[in-house]
Amino acid sequence: MLNLLTNLVDVTVLYATPLILAAMGGLFSERAGVVNIALEGFMTIGAFSAAIFTIFTGSAWIGLLSAVVVGILFSLPHAIASINWRADQVVSGVAINFLALGIAVYLVKRMYNGSAQTPVVPVKLEQISIPILNRIPVLGPSLFEAYPTTYLAIAIVIIGAVILYKTPFGIHVRAAGIHPAALETAGVSIYRVRYIAVMISGALAALGGAGLSIAVGSEFNQTTVAGQGFIALAALIFGKWRPGGLLLAATFFGFSVGLSLIGQIIKLTNYVPSEVLSMIPYVFTILALAGFVGRAESPASLGKPYEKGSR
Amino acid sequence: MRRVLSVFLFLCLVVGTTGCGGGGQTTTGKFTIGMVTDVGGLNDQSFNQSAWAGITKVKNEQKADIKALESKRDEDYIPNLTRFAREGRSITWAIGFKLDKALTDVSNSFANQKFGIVDSNLGGKIPKNVVAVTFKEHEGSFIMGALAGLKTKTNKVGFLGGVTSPLIQKFEAGYKAGVKAANPNAEVITAYAESFGDATKGRSLSKNMFNSGADIIFQASGGTGKGLFDEVKTREAGKYWAIGVDMDQSFLAPKHTLSSMIKRVDKAVYDISKQTKENKAPMGKQVEFGLKENGVGYPESTKNFVDENVIKQLEDYKQQIISGKIKVPSSL
Amino acid sequence: MKNTTLKQNRNSALLTSILSILLGIIVGAILMLLAGYNPLVAYQALLGSAILQPFDLGETIRTTSPLIFIGLAVALAFRTGLFNIGVEGQYIVGSLTAYLVAAKVSLPTGIHALVAVVAGGLAGAAWAALPGLLKAFRGVHEVIISIMMNFIALYFSNVLVRTWLAVGKDSTDKIPPTASLRIGSLSQLFAGARIHMGIILALLAVFVFYYLLWKTKLGYQLRAVGYNRHAAEYAGISVRRNIVLSFLLSGFLAGLAGATELLGTSEYIAIQDAFIGIGFDGIAVALLGANAPVGVVLSALLFGVLTYGGGNMQFVAGVPFEIIRVVFAAIIFFVAAKISFRWGNRKKGKAYA
Repeated sequence: MLNLLTNLVDVTVLYATPLILAAMGGLFSERAGVVNIALEGFMTIGAFSAAIFTIFTGSAWIGLLSAVVVGILFSLPHAIASINWRADQVVSGVAINFLALGIAVYLVKRMYNGSAQTPVVPVKLEQISIPILNRIPVLGPSLFEAYPTTYLAIAIVIIGAVILYKTPFGIHVRAAGIHPAALETAGVSIYRVRYIAVMISGALAALGGAGLSIAVGSEFNQTTVAGQGFIALAALIFGKWRPGGLLLAATFFGFSVGLSLIGQIIKLTNYVPSEVLSMIPYVFTILALAGFVGRAESPASLGKPYEKGSR
Repeated sequence: MRRVLSVFLFLCLVVGTTGCGGGGQTTTGKFTIGMVTDVGGLNDQSFNQSAWAGITKVKNEQKADIKALESKRDEDYIPNLTRFAREGRSITWAIGFKLDKALTDVSNSFANQKFGIVDSNLGGKIPKNVVAVTFKEHEGSFIMGALAGLKTKTNKVGFLGGVTSPLIQKFEAGYKAGVKAANPNAEVITAYAESFGDATKGRSLSKNMFNSGADIIFQASGGTGKGLFDEVKTREAGKYWAIGVDMDQSFLAPKHTLSSMIKRVDKAVYDISKQTKENKAPMGKQVEFGLKENGVGYPESTKNFVDENVIKQLEDYKQQIISGKIKVPSSL
Repeated sequence: MKNTTLKQNRNSALLTSILSILLGIIVGAILMLLAGYNPLVAYQALLGSAILQPFDLGETIRTTSPLIFIGLAVALAFRTGLFNIGVEGQYIVGSLTAYLVAAKVSLPTGIHALVAVVAGGLAGAAWAALPGLLKAFRGVHEVIISIMMNFIALYFSNVLVRTWLAVGKDSTDKIPPTASLRIGSLSQLFAGARIHMGIILALLAVFVFYYLLWKTKLGYQLRAVGYNRHAAEYAGISVRRNIVLSFLLSGFLAGLAGATELLGTSEYIAIQDAFIGIGFDGIAVALLGANAPVGVVLSALLFGVLTYGGGNMQFVAGVPFEIIRVVFAAIIFFVAAKISFRWGNRKKGKAYA
């Protein structure tokens, strides 16, 4: 029983980590008023660059760093389109998603002789164990013997919450998403605030993707991310655009995945088809939303381009 | 209306500037092979790649002209097969059971052309211009099961499947029978990821199985199975093992790979293509590659971690299967 | 007066589209050059294989028709201010239901196909009902529910195929000819291509879409809700009712896409290991087509040509198919940026600073 619980927490942490990172990225962008359906694309490009740079430099940490840099670069077109050009942000996000997967797989095929996946990375981010804490039953083996990305994710939720609620920049971000005109009147550049917020989203989502290709997994291919950016977006909305909320939502989703996988191990498949077990996370999410969470109030100016001098 | 017209004109312009080439060149006289992959693509580290290796060997030895087309979606199979048939290729290969219905259609429309399909017997109705190649994966999986049964210290072994489907259940059935035969006390834990491309899920499931006491896991799950190798690498070498599939996968975790169930798609495709050139191919028939034909088996690298005495027992099982003494079930 | 501005808008939209397509193609060419491929050979292979031969032309049209349906489905929801990211799931249940009617019910030729098509559409609508209802009555964001419904649809279809429709096989048998949307003479006209009645139905749907949205009261209300929810409410339009209706209609169109593809193109269902991604293609089609009927048809055609021809590009020029996705992305991106609009303003010396 204890063993099963340990496994459950383990899967929860494994699945929630990339979702938390990407959703935190989405949080900054959307709280600043820029819709971010491009999380999927940022994760993809992050996973790709992390794998490639790890292969070429032989260092997973450089790989991780490069994912952040490339993620930021990749967020710029989305920023330019949605902030300067006042384009429809959903449209630009969809374009980014196409672009990321297209470019990543195109380059992999070009670099590796038509191969659909990169070679296995020579080094990976290894699990770091925190002595004593990792002995805690059930939670210890997964939470305190985790990948660096998991620690990063937890740290980023805390730091992100502090930034968002306790610093002037955070106040500007939130104001830019609710009443940008008022912020502009106060002498703050909306463009600057939104640019930084979108760049943060690129960086964090790419970090989440990197974890998939150089920590949990060890290569990049076109199914490495496979929809997790959209689940992260769902977690962001589910968590009502709040750091604590999205943390809970991502954990809840990971937990449900854990339940569906445990079901396989304890031979529930003798009674329930495996496909039905696989539906669990999605059904649970719907039930939770319909039953308990309900109305999602998005930031008031989400998706609305800001025109200088407008009210 | 004007909009429609101008876009049409624009399209014409593009056609005009880029020139109107294309069209099928017919290839006469020379021996030519075409190959259509399933959605896995050419370098899938699995049967497509293996088939292409076989065809490449034909090219090198027989000076054949070869070409491959990758399918992006199931809808691409018919156009891709048709493209080769129109070119008049000496033989066109359809790789993977997913192409079964498409191949039936195209081979009927091009009754004078020759085709081959891998991993399907077309439901038993094989047209006269088609040769169907299938593998006795259950036999190879039986050997892997026997190996796992003999090597396990915990009397618990795992099976990691991709999408629940008859083909994968064929692996599972053979594997389970092998475990049972070699070690009646051993238990098999089964898990399906319901995906062939989800390494994270493959990893979580493997971790769960290992944590639940299994010490050896056999995977038949495509890209999902990469997760098994990622997981086993983090564990104590010599205690936890992975068994690969399709090709020798020991490169994914050299110190943790016990063996791999090899499917010699390359050999089968090479043999049949060569026979086609010599006009000896068994058209209209199903050709099965099992242990006897060396169509399934295990690689040399198995000897790295398995001592001679166990290998001997595996060879013994192999002989019993070939002689028909052991009948391996092909479904659950 | 009003008419001229409308015309100007239209012209600028057209200019935007054409410029975007051109720029997208150029971006693709640059990427090919950088990677050492010959873009001229590649594009020639692409177009040559997509439209020059009757067979290929037929297959290109066949590729286009579901994209029209899906594009309309997404566009309809967008017009009501909703994002139906669940078209992929609605497509899956549409084809599943069409298969059930085709395989498990027997009816005379023609009627059988028609009933199966409608059933598929209704199934799509039913699948879209939940996100619509939850959005309308509980305020739950439609994007999350739709994404979840997509996954459920995939597993649902797989479990039915494996345990009921095709026991012991990886795919079902083909549907009986009475339910097929293929027409022998039409296929013959295109050298045996799988072009089928789906394209006629899709074009019909385009007309219905136009009529519904711009010529009926319901359409007016749907658009009013999309334009300004609060104003619509104030004007006495039931926002909830229209949200649900919009999702139902959108799901119906997506279900039709699945049904016609099944009854005309594949004629069987296989166990699927992943989404085919037609949902995202459809979203792109709707966006590129500016959610307008004719726009959707043209952008679906463009996507159809690029998708079908892209395979040949790899064959002839060795360029990976993925470059097509980059070209898509660039086109959508430039449309989003309203490239011609900006260009025009620049000339007047009024840049957006």
